[in-house]
Amino acid sequence: MHIALRPIYTIAKKELSDNVRNKWIVAMVAIFLTLTIASSFMAGRGQVGEMGATVGALMSISSMLVPVISIMLGYGAISGEVESGALSVVLSYPVRRVEILLGKYLGLGAVICISILVGFGVSGLIIALTTGTAQWGAYIAFILLTMLLGMLYLSLSMCFSSVLKRRVTSLAAGVLVFFLGLILGMIMMGAWMATGGSLEAIMTGDTSGIPDWFWFEVFVSPQDGNGAAAMLAFGTTEFLGFDMALPPWITLGTLALAQLIWTIVPLALACFFFQRRDI
Amino acid sequence: MANDPPIVIETRNLTKRFKDVDAVNSLNLKIRKGEIYGFLGPNGAGKSTTIKMIMGLIHPTAGAAFVNGRRVSGGAADIRNAIGFLPERISFYNNLTPVQTLSFFCELRRADKCVVPSLIEDVGLSEAANRKVGTFSKGMTQLLGVAQAMIGNPSVFILDEPMGGLDAMWVKMVRDKLKTLNEQGATIIFSSHILSEVQSLCHRVAIVDRGRLVAEDTIENISSGLHLRPRLSIRSPGLKGKVPDWVRKVEGVEDAEADGDTLLITCAGDARLSVMTALQKGGLVVKDFRTVEPSLEEAFVKLLSDEEAA
Repeated sequence: MHIALRPIYTIAKKELSDNVRNKWIVAMVAIFLTLTIASSFMAGRGQVGEMGATVGALMSISSMLVPVISIMLGYGAISGEVESGALSVVLSYPVRRVEILLGKYLGLGAVICISILVGFGVSGLIIALTTGTAQWGAYIAFILLTMLLGMLYLSLSMCFSSVLKRRVTSLAAGVLVFFLGLILGMIMMGAWMATGGSLEAIMTGDTSGIPDWFWFEVFVSPQDGNGAAAMLAFGTTEFLGFDMALPPWITLGTLALAQLIWTIVPLALACFFFQRRDI
Repeated sequence: MANDPPIVIETRNLTKRFKDVDAVNSLNLKIRKGEIYGFLGPNGAGKSTTIKMIMGLIHPTAGAAFVNGRRVSGGAADIRNAIGFLPERISFYNNLTPVQTLSFFCELRRADKCVVPSLIEDVGLSEAANRKVGTFSKGMTQLLGVAQAMIGNPSVFILDEPMGGLDAMWVKMVRDKLKTLNEQGATIIFSSHILSEVQSLCHRVAIVDRGRLVAEDTIENISSGLHLRPRLSIRSPGLKGKVPDWVRKVEGVEDAEADGDTLLITCAGDARLSVMTALQKGGLVVKDFRTVEPSLEEAFVKLLSDEEAA
């Protein structure tokens, strides 16, 4: 399939400048910056905390906030513009649908990535200057993983936006998948308890009895997978609120791969459905 | 014929089925270079669906549309380079100004952005050039839509209800614009359900109803094919909407109708004088009279009712 770069760039630029104009991007940078500094103070008990501890505190919030922001940005991208009629005009120009979709994805993705990079980057710099730079590599990995989480949920919400007729249903589908990812850990934990798992074993840090299918959860729930990857990057072992060692086959590499698949497959599906859609 | 201008837009057995409704049913149209082509039909006849299939917005259930001989499909985006399009009920991005809107579309068409101010002036939106489109009235948005369609000087214009929602003054502006563009060589296809818009403008018209082509020809040919004839319009004060019985019995009168104080007589062209004389002899007060050419409105109503009967 032939794809032209010019229209992708034009559409991406429009999406990005829309979000610069309406100050969304500024608000997001401010939120990320405040959150990181607040987490750092929380982790450091009133003083600037270390990077690893900061990320531990930050992650529980950012792993919810970033998907929500992505869903908000992406849910109306196609269905909203079909509903308003604006897309009919754009599609009457010499632009392919794939180019429109990719342009929107990259433009909105840039909004997410820039705000994460600036928000987390500046606060990371502040922390590094106060507490030292020992964990800077892991912190960069955390920033990259957060961006990936943002791109992942953007891909999911744009997929729903391409498939579903209405703006409202696209939003609902995005929110539903977000909550499924959020509670999957609990469901799996419940399933394990029901099949003979023991809470006490986990509390005491004995993870030998946990079956492999339980751990598969981190490849299914994007939030948990992302969190587990950040943990591995920092070398901590807290997971789902418990201290547990991950089995050896769960590595930063396999987790990142799963997250990439979660990003690429919905985007490919979005292209597929958008091509076939009647506008 | 060998010397006919080339076909610019063609549909072959174009069909679109929505669930159990045939919105467009085996439509075959041929539009030639340099024509102003009216696409007519009542609301819900399938006009917009057909136009959307030509633009590649909707995928046909069967058949295909062709632009300059190339089949409309997802990959063939460049065929739309030649087309300026105005969709029905156009909408833009509410957060952009007309200048930003047209600049964005210039980029998509790879046209020079320096045409933007003149396009805006052309449609009379200069004063609103830096206002957000979201604050525009329906008519202003429509005018911006007309400006948008002219970006890059396309050779074909496809306009879905271009005069819908516009004031009389702007309707005239759009009509004049279409005429000018056509004189400069552009092919123009536009849809309408208001026949008076079309009558004086179009070289040829297609009439569709419930997804089917009812007629495709010049307005004169459609009228004569239907045996619609010029009528005598006689102003006779005191008529009050009633046709006196004896009028119908006058030799040569084929039909008579009264509209207020106006009497409308259908008769053969060479019988007009004898009919007029007979009417006056019979005692009809004639204040004024003229002949009325058959209107497209009549052709339309007759065609659709014939179709219904068939």
